[in-house]
Amino acid sequence: MTSFGGNTAAWLYHRIVQRRQWVTDAEFLAGMALGRIMPGPGGVNLTVQVGQRLRRSVGAVAAVVGLLSGPLVIVVALSAAYASLGWSPAVHAVLDGVAAAAIGLTFATGLKLLPSRSARLGPLAVTAATVLCIGVLRWPMLPVVLCLAPVSIGLALVQRRNA
Amino acid sequence: MPDDFRTLLALLLVFVPLSLLSIAGGASLLADMEHQSVGVYGWTTPREFADLFAISRAAPGPGTMLAALIGWKAAGWAGAVTATVALYLPSSLLVYGTARLWGRWRGSVWHTAVERGLAPVAAGLLLSGGIAVMRVSPSGPAVWAAAIIATVVLLRWPRLHPLVLFAVGGALFGLATSW
Repeated sequence: MTSFGGNTAAWLYHRIVQRRQWVTDAEFLAGMALGRIMPGPGGVNLTVQVGQRLRRSVGAVAAVVGLLSGPLVIVVALSAAYASLGWSPAVHAVLDGVAAAAIGLTFATGLKLLPSRSARLGPLAVTAATVLCIGVLRWPMLPVVLCLAPVSIGLALVQRRNA
Repeated sequence: MPDDFRTLLALLLVFVPLSLLSIAGGASLLADMEHQSVGVYGWTTPREFADLFAISRAAPGPGTMLAALIGWKAAGWAGAVTATVALYLPSSLLVYGTARLWGRWRGSVWHTAVERGLAPVAAGLLLSGGIAVMRVSPSGPAVWAAAIIATVVLLRWPRLHPLVLFAVGGALFGLATSW
């Protein structure tokens, strides 16, 4: 409900992994990547998976209803208010400030989840390639993920064999 | 058939197929949503559609809340709920099924490798998402600077509640423009 500006994943990480420790870092990230590849919004897909993991179907339904009902009410209330008031510059500025903090949350989460602890170059290179292709070059996400994910999974298999 | 009911049915017909087509987030749906709600059904005027889009971006929640707003315009609260369920339920069922299958393989070599392999890609996606939001922000450098400060603050004090930071950011920017 507080996931401003499309940073749902960062916010979910804060609540689900850091506060509640419902799932591990690895499970969270796998769920997130999977949620992005499949149809439907990534945040909702991720929530379904976490709910399913915890409490099966009841958990999945509860998680999604919880994720969506708050914003639904707020967004409709906002547009009702908008219809009568219109936007003022101050409202825009406040939203910008909130957005900036939300972007900070996204970056901080991404950096925290960097595969640095294992000090391996392979996974780090995969992260860098993802940021370069999607973040900087703005290539479409789906083909990039479908190319990089198998490479990365293969890398994990090889490393496991060597270990 | 009462009119309200017919509108709700139309909302279902529009948003259920979109749900399964919405690979890679809601942005890919935008064109079609616009076509259906402005051109085909006349639920919103073009101007209203643009305004609703701005609101759905500024407000909390996953970006696809636009569907709820279109439903609301078309048929009030019942429309908002119908459009939301229509857009989210089919894709959620698909993911639920996948997650169940996926859970059966827990502990196998493959499961571990896939989980480990997807992690660095997901971290990259998060960072890219931040860059993308920053790029479309209309206030430019001020927002970039504030975002970097917020990043540093959150890395330094991970237990800090993000809402505090959101409130501070909003208040600072609000004050800065009223001067």
